Amino acid sequence: MALLSVDGLVVRFRTHEGTIHAVNGVSFDLDEGETLGIVGESGCGKSVTSLAIMRLLPKPAGRIEGGTVRFDGQDLLACSEAEMREMRGRDIAMIFQDPMTSLNPVLTIEEQMVETIQAHRKVGNEEARTRAIELLTIVGIPQPENRLRAFPHQFSGGMRQRVMIAMALALEPKLLIADEPTTALDVTIQAQVLELLQRLTTETGTAAILITHDLGVVAGMTQRINVMYAGYIVETAPTAELFAKPSHPYTVGLLHSIPRLDAVQGEELIPIEGAPPDQRRAPVGCPFAPRCAWRLPDCWTTNPPLVPVRAAEAVVTTGPGATHRMACHNPPTAGEAAAGRPLREGFVAAPPPSAVADELALVVP
Amino acid sequence: MTRYIVRRVLGAIPVLFGLSIVLFAFIHLLPGDPATAILGQHATAQRIADMRAYLGLNDPLPIQYVGYLGDLLRGDFGSSFINNQPVLAEFLRRFPGTVELTLAAMIFAAGVGIPLGRFAARHAQRWPDGAVTVFSLLGISIPVFVLGLTLQVIFAVYFKVLPASGRLDPRTALDLQTNFVLIDTWLMPGWTFDQKLSAFIDGVRHLILPAIALGSIPLAIITRITRASVIEVANEDYVRTARAKGLRERRIDDRHIMRNAWLPVVTVIGLQVGGLLGGAVITETVFAWNGVGRWVVDAIGNRDYFVVQSTILIFALIFLAVNLIVDIAYAFINPRIRYA
Amino acid sequence: MTAPSVAIARVAPRASRGLWGDAARRLLRNRVAMVGVVFIVLFAGTAIFASWIAPYDPNAGALANSLQAPSSAHFMGTDIQGRDELSRVLYGARISLLVGLGSVIVGVFLGGTIGAIAGAVGGRVDNVLMRVVDVLLAIPGILLAIGIVAWLDRGLPQITIAVAVTNAPIFARLLRGGLLAVREADYVVAARSVGVPSRRLLLRHMLPNSLTPIIVAATLALATAIIDVAGLGFLGLGPADPRTAEWGTMLQDSTKFLRSAQYLIFFPGLAIVISAVGFNLLGDGLRESLDPRLKK
Repeated sequence: MALLSVDGLVVRFRTHEGTIHAVNGVSFDLDEGETLGIVGESGCGKSVTSLAIMRLLPKPAGRIEGGTVRFDGQDLLACSEAEMREMRGRDIAMIFQDPMTSLNPVLTIEEQMVETIQAHRKVGNEEARTRAIELLTIVGIPQPENRLRAFPHQFSGGMRQRVMIAMALALEPKLLIADEPTTALDVTIQAQVLELLQRLTTETGTAAILITHDLGVVAGMTQRINVMYAGYIVETAPTAELFAKPSHPYTVGLLHSIPRLDAVQGEELIPIEGAPPDQRRAPVGCPFAPRCAWRLPDCWTTNPPLVPVRAAEAVVTTGPGATHRMACHNPPTAGEAAAGRPLREGFVAAPPPSAVADELALVVP
Repeated sequence: MTRYIVRRVLGAIPVLFGLSIVLFAFIHLLPGDPATAILGQHATAQRIADMRAYLGLNDPLPIQYVGYLGDLLRGDFGSSFINNQPVLAEFLRRFPGTVELTLAAMIFAAGVGIPLGRFAARHAQRWPDGAVTVFSLLGISIPVFVLGLTLQVIFAVYFKVLPASGRLDPRTALDLQTNFVLIDTWLMPGWTFDQKLSAFIDGVRHLILPAIALGSIPLAIITRITRASVIEVANEDYVRTARAKGLRERRIDDRHIMRNAWLPVVTVIGLQVGGLLGGAVITETVFAWNGVGRWVVDAIGNRDYFVVQSTILIFALIFLAVNLIVDIAYAFINPRIRYA
Repeated sequence: MTAPSVAIARVAPRASRGLWGDAARRLLRNRVAMVGVVFIVLFAGTAIFASWIAPYDPNAGALANSLQAPSSAHFMGTDIQGRDELSRVLYGARISLLVGLGSVIVGVFLGGTIGAIAGAVGGRVDNVLMRVVDVLLAIPGILLAIGIVAWLDRGLPQITIAVAVTNAPIFARLLRGGLLAVREADYVVAARSVGVPSRRLLLRHMLPNSLTPIIVAATLALATAIIDVAGLGFLGLGPADPRTAEWGTMLQDSTKFLRSAQYLIFFPGLAIVISAVGFNLLGDGLRESLDPRLKK
């Protein structure tokens, strides 16, 4: 049985501006020790998914309105707040994007580490301190005894993120969720921190979810990738397979919009035109349709389900043999994926249906 | 850290200098002839000549200023023309009354305002928050004298549960030693413990209404700042981190939120001291409270300029000193400054 | 290419009507601010039309009518001189509006000038001016006003100046701070780099952006000014003619009747609170509406 099983997760935010449809039915599984990447633009629901798993959505706006989350045999959404609190940090740990703001500026590193350990284990101050020193040593912070007494602002960004990692791994959690752990860091530091994360999770057999907008980050770090768009998983595959055979226009677009070292000389970058849809509206049709060059008339009205790329294949959700699935009415062919645009003779992206077009005429001058 | 303190102390010097110039102008540049203005139209020629000599009015202004500054530094703040008593001595005699009132008001304002602000923040955007917001709006909109008179009418006249004015029951024969009523009741020789206690309680009862009236504006401001600060800090990433670590809400509140939310509140409390000292002038008038405030109001009626001058000077000095202390305390509780 | 425009069209933003238009619309939708406006209209209307709506001459009274409780003839009762309290409260609004508004205008002008010079010139001038402001801020506001009135003597112009001087430091600091922040802002640097003349830079680019906090502070200062004016009156530093209907002075007169005629405390007190609440509500509403970043 999978360590983590998310099924049909729906998260909405109730705000003054209306309801934000942040996550619209996301399902995925994760085995023990497995590493999963969740990739997508900001606002695609990747961070919200992770906060929902932790039940840390901002209150009172954020609500889980559907689906289940099972972790280690427990239904997390049915847990009491106290049960949930015990699990946070001990069984599921989290690392956040900005190490500058994720550590409390007025508390020493020691206090922040010791309180984490003592929140879940009945140990004395001295013992917790020893463990904290040990952890700081593991994540490569020099002179940990002295640094323990320092405040966060006395560390560099990379060092702070190491402290965050040390804190997250303090209780040897079964699952580590890292939300853009390197985005706020200098490029040179990013690789070090990623390497550290990878080494530690591998050594301890911790399952990891790595959330990022950067396909380059997940490429070497994860075994499997979920590509998210507008609150949906639009494609999922083992990492190598996804890079080799991207099957959703959005994934194709993502791959073509980042510079690659192995790119053929002169290959142009193709940006994805437009912006993600307004999530204040209940989704209709494929969310990517307005930006898609492959779209068919159906795409405007029917949202395609997440199905295996190779039809009639039995679905495996976890592990190296996980089924490559995507949600698209008109997936790009291998050649088109390589070119980054439709190559079929005379193919034109379907114009919006008249109802949408009328609305356009009213709003766009 | 030491350098920070030294810099803050040195930074106060130009302000002190400016303050002395303002007060010098207040006395020496009184419209018309200063000596006549101070002593009034009916003073004898001899007294006016003496006053002119005392102020050095025949010297050029810079010399006058140096002389004035010398007087201040020697503690000569002039004499009240009403009774010819040195102003400073009378000020010091009355000041404990004002301190007692101001401190009580501050304790009330911070003691109620901080928990109230936290309460409102915890229920942000729901009805308890709205109620607190309305409450603090009224707090800053009701002048001290209106609130004071209203409290008198309600609690002293209508319900008769608290005294309307004064610092102590007039029938109590208390010898003032420190001029702090709440202390002097315990120092009274020959009184039994019960007498001391009942006099003390009587002093506290006299203090309640004026302290509430005086403290209402700082209360409203402290409540607002605490609420805003707690809400802001509660949305910080590190609070989310604390939750993700599985800490108890209680600990998150006390250690992670309040330790940060405190900082602006401390600064604002320091800034309220000025308003409190000013408000004390009015409060003491409303409640016939024998402190500096009432004295200065009487002095204005009598055009006793030295009294007004000394009060402005000492109140400003206290305000500057308190804020200096608050700034230094702030640096101590904020590691980002302490280890900058 | 229609695809991107579809995406944008689906967001369907309301057309922006510019900074001030947007602010005005947000303000009109701000219910709290509108309650404030109602109070202010009540207050200002009373002040302006006092002579038409007041049932009696505020200064005429017969001792025979002294201290009558509220009745249909005298809605708010009469004071010790037998003068109609309602008429005096209505006329009192005039003094409050006149002196309150006047002192804030003078204060904004005075403080604004100091702040603009300090912010625009900088250097030593800035340093000296800001120390002056520090001195004024170190003296408790009401005490500073008392000192000024003691120095200048009683009277409405004197009170106006006294309250203005206590207000001025806030505006000086706000404008200077705004100018300094804006001076280094990217869009001003950008405008300067394309050769926008410095006068135009100051007037078109820098001032409008420093202005919003001033507008908010001025509105809130109106509340404090009304309270301070009444406070001076309460301390016996009101209008030169002690018979003038002024809320603070009226309250001081009524303290003698704490046990017999509480209505003499209640009505002028209520009048002060209503006006102060009005400006405080509007000020808070303006703060929310004028800051485009502070959308709810």
